[in-house]
Amino acid sequence: MAKLSAWRQYKALLAKDVRQELRTREMLVSMGVYAVLVLTVYGAALAQVGDRLQVVSFAAGLLWALIVFTSLLGLNRSFGRETETGCLDGILLAPVDRAVVFLAKATTNLLFLLIVEVVVVPLFFLFFLSGAELAPTTPLIALPLLVGTVGVAGMGTLLSTMTINTRGKDVLLAILFIPVVFPLLYACVSATGVAFMGVEGTFGTFWTSCGIAFGYDIVMIAAAWGLYEFVVSA
Amino acid sequence: MTAEGGLRGGAVLAVEVDGLVKQFGNRRALDGASFSLEQGAFLSIFGPNGAGKTTLLRILATLSRPTRGTVRLLGVDALEEPERLRSQIGLISHKSMLYGDLTAYENLAFFSSLYDGAPNRARIDELLRIVELDHRRNDCVRTFSRGMQQRLSIARALVNDPALVLLDEPYSGLDPHAVELFDELIGRVRTERPDRTFVMVSHDLEKGFRMCSHALILARGQVVVMAEKNRVRRDAFRDLYLATVGMGVA
Repeated sequence: MAKLSAWRQYKALLAKDVRQELRTREMLVSMGVYAVLVLTVYGAALAQVGDRLQVVSFAAGLLWALIVFTSLLGLNRSFGRETETGCLDGILLAPVDRAVVFLAKATTNLLFLLIVEVVVVPLFFLFFLSGAELAPTTPLIALPLLVGTVGVAGMGTLLSTMTINTRGKDVLLAILFIPVVFPLLYACVSATGVAFMGVEGTFGTFWTSCGIAFGYDIVMIAAAWGLYEFVVSA
Repeated sequence: MTAEGGLRGGAVLAVEVDGLVKQFGNRRALDGASFSLEQGAFLSIFGPNGAGKTTLLRILATLSRPTRGTVRLLGVDALEEPERLRSQIGLISHKSMLYGDLTAYENLAFFSSLYDGAPNRARIDELLRIVELDHRRNDCVRTFSRGMQQRLSIARALVNDPALVLLDEPYSGLDPHAVELFDELIGRVRTERPDRTFVMVSHDLEKGFRMCSHALILARGQVVVMAEKNRVRRDAFRDLYLATVGMGVA
């Protein structure tokens, strides 16, 4: 009965966020526009070096920098609606397990980040990799992208909850977020790089990196799940 | 869940607070506050800025934990079993706690789902009628005036039919007409369920005193006085309040 109730509460929380976003498109549009601006900056920077550089060799780093910066913008906004008129208190007043609140918000963030990635990653390929010779293993980047985005959404949800009531929360979130997700980023950049390059004999690194990223997701999301009650009542 | 309150001289107690201390770093927001309140009573808490009123209300709402002390609400230990109490508490704040991009109905349906698993349509329809917003049920809350939002906020706080209603500066930002409507609505809500207990924090001595059955002055985190309204004269209470603030106790 309790599980059924928690499942319904989870669905209600998720549906509320999705309905608001469909009505305003605030988060998706702002993240999308920001991502395109970052791509424009990349374009300006890389235009100066002409054909002397092989973009494929560092495309993984560029792609993950784009994802992290775009995520930060979205994560900062994800609690904006909850705090603007005190709605988070309204949710916490209800008999809802705090872990359910975390899971619903993390799922919303994951969903929105994945939607933005579906648009932005092809744009990245179009702008920077359209003339490059891509390895046949390139489609494998989907795996580190998915595993990495799960971790970014999970940890980002916990950290943005911690910073919502602080002064300078935008900066504080970035200061906390980047060091905390660094192991995940490192693993994902490594796996994405291997997939882009497609050098034979390096696929052990791909799977090891994906494994590390997956392990990070499990450990950090479990920790966030457990800590959420403490974080929201602090 | 049915929660039974404690007893004091045959009366059922809805709120029992003892030795409440809340420390924020070096600042002590509550410093040993103690009081109790019978079920069905309306308590107005007065005090200057920084007296600890909102901190006290957040602890009663189970949104914050005290550093020390005990809190029993409706006979349940609020620190040990807050989840048992949450379905029995409603909070009306100066913040509407409503989503501007959802309609009036969607807001109530969302909060109702958190309590009942699914929207309680009959209760939502009834509440929209009580707060006279039935005709705007499908309009986004962002388009509502402050007064209308506060009326819908009352409906939101009552969606779970709570036994204890907490009000945090509910008059903030309301024009005189909206204040009148708000008082009328609270009166109607009190009649709807006479055993419902209210605790209101207010800066406004006149309005707060008019609404209450019990009045409390909080200063520097301590209860300076708590009295039944019919046992004190309004002027005497007002003088006591001003003296408390003026003497620097607050």
